[in-house]
Amino acid sequence: MPEGFKNILFRHIAVAIDCSPHSMASLAAAAELAKLMQAELTGIFVEDINLLRMAELPFTHEIRIYTSEPEKIDPSCLERSLRLQAREAEAALEHYAGQFMLRHSFKVRRGMVPAEVMSASTEADLLVLGRSGRSPGCRKGLGSTVKSALAGNAKNILIMRTGFPPSGESMLVLYDGSEASGAALRIARSLLQAGGELHIIILPKTGPDVQIIEKKLSEIVPADMPGAELHVLPPGLDDSAVLARYIHMAGSGLVVLSDRMSLPAETVHSLIGAIAYPVLLVRGPAGVP
Amino acid sequence: MQPPSKLPPEKLYRTCDPESLAFDTTADLDGQVKPAGQERAIEAIAFGMGIKHDGFNLFALGPNGTGKQSAITSFLERTAPALPIPSDWCYVNNFEKPRHPEALQLPAGKAVQFARDMEHLVEALFTVLPAAFSSEEYQAQEKNIREKFQELQSDAIGSLEEEAAKKNIALIRTPAGFAFAPVKKGEVIKPEEFMQLAREEKDAIEKDIEELKKALQSIMGQIPKWQRETQERIKELNRNIASFALKPLVSELAGTYKTITEAIGYLKALENDIVENFDQFLDKEPDPRELYLGLPPGRLSMKSPSFNRYRVNVIVDNSRTIGAPVIYEDKPACQNLVGDIEHLSQMGTLVTDFTLIKPGALHRANGGYLLVDARRLLLEPLAYEALKKALRTKQIRIESLGQLYSLISTVSLEPEPIPLDVKVILLGDRSLYYLLNDYDPDFSELFKVAADFEDDMPSSEENRTAYAGIISAMVRNDRLRHFDRGAVARIIEQGSRLARDAAKLTTHLQSIYDLVHEADYHAAAAQRPVVLAVDVQQAIDAKKSRSSRVQEKIREATLKNIILIDTDSEKTGQINGLAVYAMGEESFGQPGKITASVRLGKGEVIDIEREVEMGGPIHSKGVMILSGFLGSRFAQEQPLSLSASLVFEQSYSGVEGDSASSAELYALLSALSGAPVKQYLAVTGSVNQYGEIQAIGGVNEKIEGFFDLCRARGLSGKHGVLIPASNIDNLMLRTDVVDAVRDGLFSVYPVTHADEGIEILTGIPAGSPDENGRYPDGTINGMVMARLQDMALKLRKFSATEENGKNRNPVP
Repeated sequence: MPEGFKNILFRHIAVAIDCSPHSMASLAAAAELAKLMQAELTGIFVEDINLLRMAELPFTHEIRIYTSEPEKIDPSCLERSLRLQAREAEAALEHYAGQFMLRHSFKVRRGMVPAEVMSASTEADLLVLGRSGRSPGCRKGLGSTVKSALAGNAKNILIMRTGFPPSGESMLVLYDGSEASGAALRIARSLLQAGGELHIIILPKTGPDVQIIEKKLSEIVPADMPGAELHVLPPGLDDSAVLARYIHMAGSGLVVLSDRMSLPAETVHSLIGAIAYPVLLVRGPAGVP
Repeated sequence: MQPPSKLPPEKLYRTCDPESLAFDTTADLDGQVKPAGQERAIEAIAFGMGIKHDGFNLFALGPNGTGKQSAITSFLERTAPALPIPSDWCYVNNFEKPRHPEALQLPAGKAVQFARDMEHLVEALFTVLPAAFSSEEYQAQEKNIREKFQELQSDAIGSLEEEAAKKNIALIRTPAGFAFAPVKKGEVIKPEEFMQLAREEKDAIEKDIEELKKALQSIMGQIPKWQRETQERIKELNRNIASFALKPLVSELAGTYKTITEAIGYLKALENDIVENFDQFLDKEPDPRELYLGLPPGRLSMKSPSFNRYRVNVIVDNSRTIGAPVIYEDKPACQNLVGDIEHLSQMGTLVTDFTLIKPGALHRANGGYLLVDARRLLLEPLAYEALKKALRTKQIRIESLGQLYSLISTVSLEPEPIPLDVKVILLGDRSLYYLLNDYDPDFSELFKVAADFEDDMPSSEENRTAYAGIISAMVRNDRLRHFDRGAVARIIEQGSRLARDAAKLTTHLQSIYDLVHEADYHAAAAQRPVVLAVDVQQAIDAKKSRSSRVQEKIREATLKNIILIDTDSEKTGQINGLAVYAMGEESFGQPGKITASVRLGKGEVIDIEREVEMGGPIHSKGVMILSGFLGSRFAQEQPLSLSASLVFEQSYSGVEGDSASSAELYALLSALSGAPVKQYLAVTGSVNQYGEIQAIGGVNEKIEGFFDLCRARGLSGKHGVLIPASNIDNLMLRTDVVDAVRDGLFSVYPVTHADEGIEILTGIPAGSPDENGRYPDGTINGMVMARLQDMALKLRKFSATEENGKNRNPVP
C-alpha cells in the first residue's frame, strides 16, 4: 500500500456500471481503490428510462451494426436485455469483491441515468465514473453522467478511461496554493507508487505568487522528494486548451485536480473534457486528514 | 598289380617347424593383419569399390567366419579416408506443404551448426519480437490506426446526432444497436405524450426519424469496411515491425550461409513464415494443448510444439567423418535402412512432424559404403526390397511401414527423397548368393561384383607368416597372452587339419579365433605368461572332449558288442567300412559293418538301404556303380547270373555318400570269391566302374575313429585302414595315431585301385586278365569269375529244366 493511504478517508466508493468499456475500467479502478483503502464498494446500474420510453413509441426501430434492415424494438425484449446487463454488471462487481474481499452492494435504479447515479451515490465519498457511457456521440468528450456529476455535488469524482490504472508510476497535479489544490496534491502523493513520478504544475496568478506557492508546496511535498518534478506555468494562465497541452507534454498518468481551486470551475471542467487521461477531481479536504 | 606300401608316419601329419617362424613370440610381431589367401576376393573388392557405375555393388560370398567382413573393413579402412567427405543432410519444415518436409544439403559439418544457428535465431526472436511490439513507437502507431477508425465512426455518428438534435431527436444506444427518439428537455417523449401530438407533428417526427434512420444505416454499412481497412493496416504495421525486427537476424545467418543456395532459400521462406506468425513469439496465455502435453504453463518456450516448425532435424552429420563413411548395419530392418517416421502419442492420438524423421543406415552411409549381412537382410520383412528400391532409384525415400500397410491411420509425412550414392556390400554364404542370382532378376543388376572368399589357402611360408600375424592381432586386440612360436606352429597345423588338407590352411578365422582364446584360457589356468604349444593342444583336446559324448556312447556300445564290429578275425562277405558323423561343429569317424550276400539271379546288386529308403541317392549311385564294375569285368562272355544284397549292418538312420562303395565292392568280391576279409582292416573310398579308388571326405576322422576302437581293444600291429591314395594330402592325423604308426601298431594303406585293396584285405592277389580276358586261378578275380561261371551254368540248367516242365504241362 502506498505510504499514507491508511489515513485516507474514502470509506465508501460508488461506481456506475453500464457495461461499457469505460465503465468496466471504472469498476476495476474502484475495486482497486476500495481494496487499498478498505472501503465499501457500491455498484450502481441504471435502467435508462429514455430507452424504455423509446421502445414504446410506435415508430421506433433499432438499427444494428451488422444487419441491414432496422428492426422494431420489442419493449419486453428491451427490458430483458437491461436485466441481463444489470446481471452482468452485478457479476463483474461480485468478481472484484470476491477477489479483493470487499464489502459491497449493488443497486439497480430506473430513471434518467445521471440523476439516478447522483441520487444513488449521495452516501459515497468517491464516485467513480466512466469518461463516456453508451451514448454514441459522446466518445470524444465527456458523457452525460460525468457532466451531470461535475455540475452536481458529488464529493469526489474519479473519471476513468480504459487503459489506465487509478494509481500508477506517474501522476500530475495542478497546484495553485489553494486548500483544495493542496488536498488534491496530498491524495496524489498517497496514490503514487514507490519510485513513481509526480508532476506538479504550478499555476501562479502573478509572478510573485510563485514563491508563495512554492513555499506552501514545500509543506506538502519536500523539496528533495524523489520523482517530484515542478512545472511552473506562466502567471495568469487559465485557458483549458493550453493547460491540456501542457499536461499532455508532461505525459502524465492520473491527473489530480480540484474544481474548487483558484482556477474557475468551468475551466477545470473544460480541461477535464480535453485531456486524454483519467482524472481524480477532489472537492475539498473533507476526505483527507 | 603290386599292393601299395603302408604310409610312413611323416605322410600322416605335416608338421610346422617352429624354427621356420621368424619370431619368438607374437609380441615380436607388429599385429598388422595382412590379407592372406584371399587374393581373388580382394581383387574383386578393389574392383567393386573402385568402379563408379550403377549396379556395381558387391556381394562377398563365402562361409561364415572366413573373415569377409574383416577383409572388406580392412580394405575400406585403407581406401575410404582418402575419399571426399560427403555432405550433411537435414530435414526442415516445408512452410507451404508441411506434409512434405524439405531435405537440405549442407557441406560436411555444417548441419549441426545450422541447426544450432536456427535455435539461436528462434531464441533471439523471443526477445526481439516482444521488444519490437511493446515499443512505444509500435503502440503509438497501432493506437493511431485504431483511433482513426474510432474517429471515423464517431465523427459520422456524431454529425448525425447533431443533425438529429436540431430536430429534437436523440440518437440513443440500445443494448444491440442504435435508435432515434423524439426528445423534450433532454428526455425522450413519453408514448402517451407523443400520442397526444397533432397528426402533422407526429408525421413530421416520423418522417425526420425515417430520414435519420436511412442516414444511420448508410453509416452502419460503412463500419465493416472501415473495420476491415483498420485490420489490414494493423496487419501491415505488424508485418513491417516483425520484418524490421527479424531482418538483421536473418541477414546475419544468410551471410553465414551465402554460398549454400538451398539454405538461403529456406531462410527466405522462414522469414516470411515468422513475419506472418510473429504473434507466437509474443507473451500470451499458454495454449491449453501445451498443458495437456505436460509443458509448463507461462511464457512460451523453445520446447513448445509451435516452434518445432523452425527446428532443423539433422539427419546426417559428417562433422567427425574422415573420408567416405563406412557403415555396418547390424540389424538391417527396413526402417533401420531407409529411416523411419516416428510418432508421438498426444491425448490418445499419434502425431508426427519432420523433427521425428529418423535416419537410416543408407543416410549415414550415403557417399560411402554400407555393409549388410545378406541373411539378416532377407530375414527382415521388406528390407531387401527397400534396399533394392533405394539402389534402383538412387534415392532414399522414407516410407513408414505403418502407413504403407495402413496399420496407422493418422496423418503422416512424405519427406523429400534424398539422392543416394552408396556402395552396398552384402555379406553372405555361397548358397544365398546363387539362390539370389537364380531367383531374383534384380539381384544381378544391382550386385554385379562377387567377391568369392576361399575356404582355405595354400600352406606357404608367406601364408604361415600371415597366420602368425592374424594370431598376433587377435592377441593384441583382445589383450590375450602372447603365443610362443611353438604355439603358433601348432595353430598353423590345426589350420591345416581344419582345412582338411595338409598342404592348406583354413581361412575360417573364427575357428582360429576360438582356438586362440581357449589356448589363452588354458595358459592362464597353468599360470603361464606366454601361451605354449601344450596349451593349444589342450584347447584342441578339450574341445574334442566336450563334444565327444555321442562318439563315446557308440564306442562303448561297440566294445560291449552291442554294435557288432569285428576287429580281429577274417570273415567272408563282411568288411568294416568307415563313416563320419557330424555333430554340430565337430565330426567324428566310426566303423560300420558292411555285409554282402550273393545268390542266383539276374545280375542286380540290391542296396538294402535304398530298398527301405534309408539310403541317399549318392549312396545308391555308388552301389549301382558296383554292378557296372562287375558287369564290365566279369560279364563280357556270359550274363551276370547273380543277385547280391548289400547292407550296412546295425544302421538305424540314413546312409548317404559313396565313400563306402569300395568297401561294398570288397565285401561283394569276398562273398563271390569266398575269400575271407581281414576284419582288422577298415576301408574308406569310393570306386568307379573301372575299379579306381576315388577321394572321399573326412579321412582323418575316419582313420581316427577306427584307430580309437582298435586301441580300446588293444593294438596288435595288424590293424589299419585303407584310404584312397588321392587323400594322402588330406592327412593331418592326431599325434597318437601317428605315434602308433611309427611304432608299427597301426597302418594306413593308400589304395588307387580295387585290385590293390582286395589284395591287402584278403592277402590273395587280385589277378590280372590274360589276352582272353581270363583271370588266373588262385586269384580273387579268378575265383570270382569261376563262381560267376558256375552260377551262370546253374541258372542256365535251371532255366532249361523249367522250360521243359512248362512244355509238358501246357496251361489249359
